[in-house]
Amino acid sequence: MATLETALIVEITLRTLAICGAALLVSLALGLPLGIALGRRHFGGRVALVSLVNSGMGAPPVVVGLVVALLLWRHGPLGVLHLMYTPVAMVVAQIVIALPLVVGITLAAVGALDEDWELQVRTLGLPPRWRRGLLLCEIRLGLLAAVIAAMGGILSEVGAALMVGANLEGETRVLTTAIVMYVGMGEYEMAIGLAAVLMGLMLVLTGVLTAVQQSGRR
Amino acid sequence: MSGAALLSARELRVERRSRRGSFTLQIDALDLRAGEVLAILGPNGAGKSTLLRALAGLEHPARGAIDSAAAGPITLVFQRPAAFAGSVAHNVAAALLGRGLERAQLERRVREALERFEIASLAPRRAHTLSGGELRRLALARAFVLAPAVLLLDEPFDDLDASGQASLSLDLRRAIGDTGVAVAMVTHDLRRALLLADRIAVLLEGRLAQIDRRDSVLEKPRTPEIARVVGMSNLVRGVVVAAPDGGRRVEVDAHHAIPVRTALETGCGVWAGIRPEHLKIDVGRGGSGIAIGKAVVRSVVDDGVAASVALAWAGEELHTHLLAGRGLARSLEPGALVVLAVQPEHVHLIPVAEAPRAAG
Repeated sequence: MATLETALIVEITLRTLAICGAALLVSLALGLPLGIALGRRHFGGRVALVSLVNSGMGAPPVVVGLVVALLLWRHGPLGVLHLMYTPVAMVVAQIVIALPLVVGITLAAVGALDEDWELQVRTLGLPPRWRRGLLLCEIRLGLLAAVIAAMGGILSEVGAALMVGANLEGETRVLTTAIVMYVGMGEYEMAIGLAAVLMGLMLVLTGVLTAVQQSGRR
Repeated sequence: MSGAALLSARELRVERRSRRGSFTLQIDALDLRAGEVLAILGPNGAGKSTLLRALAGLEHPARGAIDSAAAGPITLVFQRPAAFAGSVAHNVAAALLGRGLERAQLERRVREALERFEIASLAPRRAHTLSGGELRRLALARAFVLAPAVLLLDEPFDDLDASGQASLSLDLRRAIGDTGVAVAMVTHDLRRALLLADRIAVLLEGRLAQIDRRDSVLEKPRTPEIARVVGMSNLVRGVVVAAPDGGRRVEVDAHHAIPVRTALETGCGVWAGIRPEHLKIDVGRGGSGIAIGKAVVRSVVDDGVAASVALAWAGEELHTHLLAGRGLARSLEPGALVVLAVQPEHVHLIPVAEAPRAAG
């Protein structure tokens, strides 16, 4: 029994890491350039876009789940893709939750730089690739804060994951949805075990990221 | 010392709009020549920094262009230099990123640049922890490590105390002399500008009012406004009249006149300009010049190095400088009556009708 449960916990944990990791990577790949662009460029409609991002940072995950579910539902606009109740649907929902966090925190970090910081780098005549490198180095504290916030949001999210993933055994069951299920079934021992794993994951990952973030402050 | 033009602005027009209003910089012709230091002077809001940014290629001119014949980099050190993340050494090395230098070569150049501005001991320190003066030295090291052909400096001595300004200006002069870099420098510090500059350009309200050799601008400003910018603060309006000795003098009123050497016709309305260092308090030992009458001491401001004395003369306030802490400076009190004197050749006349225009 104990062996079976351990194997189950490992399986659920690995799936959680895969789904959340994919969502985090896509969120960062899209959110970092978008946040940097929003922080550096001034164009018509920028304020509206920033306002949308800020609203998104506080959007309830369960509402995000509902919107994604309506889009992916069999009769929804993207129903033909047959993504509902699949890990991909969960990744999509988690991206929608994490993306505003990444964009918002990144653009705040870029916006905190002096107005002529970029001009000062330009006058050194550096190639664009190195200018981008200097910028990322300069805002690294903000970037890591964005990663930590996005990871926390994704790992702890349960409402949207349940709604678009349905907690299917062996397919879309992740740590958060499994905990909800086991509590519902009265199996507190298993729920506590999964919760301990989830907390451990959070502590280890945020600890590593925080160590990286603070290493440059010596 | 100076040669062919490295940067040339022709028919340049830069327009800037902000919440505080609009501003236009208009330069008909301006050259920065190889090996020279050009000091750009002017009151606040005259467009000095805008001109510097235009020369650095950071402004988009509405008209005209900046032509460059510089064989090396053109770099600008900002009024408030940025400290990049990482150490002081990393900050200087950042300027050389992506240029294909070998590690040993890069380290040597960084070390030399740090030593040039006497911050080698700060190399491992985080740049964000530097003081204002140290950061300014870091910015200069970061600029010089590039071996620039043209260096543009925006208020390089801003926010530094007197000793910091003095030591940095000496290091900067040595660095400029060693490298032969052409420099355009915006500053409101006339003394530092004079220490470094070969030529002076005066900007007024977005226009180039005068550009010429340093001494020409200092001694022969074209307008009263330019005179004030270059430190000729004693300006008195009068009329050229014949003196009893057959020479000329500027009559300020019925009781006050200043002896001058001029070819201007009598009856010509002029501004008589006298630099403070050329206006003397006559203590009867001779050598001060020709007496121009009595004045009342209004104030004596002693900064420990020089004493600036304000005097009431012919209804005007004039200023002279004395060595601080020495005889006369210690004995002068507000209200004291003194005799002023000036050498006629130290009085610069600006005809009242002359319109300001640039000269080359």
